[in-house]
Amino acid sequence: MKGIPTVLITVSPEVSAQMRPPRALYPKGFKIGNSLGRPGMRDLQKKVLRNALELLGKNTRPGEIITIEYQEYGEQYEPPHVKKPA
Amino acid sequence: MTISRKCVPFTPFERELSKSTIAIVTAGGVHLRDQEPFNIADELGDLGYREIPPDVNSSQLMVTHHHYDHSDADNDINVVFPIDVLRDLAAEGFIVGLARKHIGYMGYTMQLKAMYEGTAREIANDIDKGSRADAVVLTGG
Repeated sequence: MKGIPTVLITVSPEVSAQMRPPRALYPKGFKIGNSLGRPGMRDLQKKVLRNALELLGKNTRPGEIITIEYQEYGEQYEPPHVKKPA
Repeated sequence: MTISRKCVPFTPFERELSKSTIAIVTAGGVHLRDQEPFNIADELGDLGYREIPPDVNSSQLMVTHHHYDHSDADNDINVVFPIDVLRDLAAEGFIVGLARKHIGYMGYTMQLKAMYEGTAREIANDIDKGSRADAVVLTGG
């Protein structure tokens, strides 16, 4: 198997980073359950998906998560954090 | 933070997006209404996955997942499974089209090894052999 290029859209960047995805987009402040935006916000959903797909051809560093802010999303949410070992 | 020591499975993308077909693989528990729902009664999580055809009417999709609030996805499945959004991008010529199959699974499991060595490989093989996808978009809940 040659492999298939992937890009991840994550709303839990710290959690996702643990698995070191080859390419990943974090739409800043989007809550869990809103990976592409809010219901019915098709223009925003398209923008997020376009940005994610564009990462496929960019010189991303595997394991790095690219953060993009989308003002039109509105209220932002704090993503879940990974507990550091004591 | 503990970082995975496994090597990153990086596959270069060497096509133009406008000539590429795209598949969606979501951990958001998405499936067709007439497919068997994921087993949320199993505390260890459901290791199965469901194939979703590219011509699906998005109103025929639903979410079975008890580890995130999917009320927004219940109103518009595209917030976790952007099938209509992909169609829009294809209509605009941003991509050439949708892959022949897309996948939903429940991204919650206490059986990490079985998920990593079993389900994940099965999904990758399924996409590799039968979908004609040039690239995959992964989403969580």
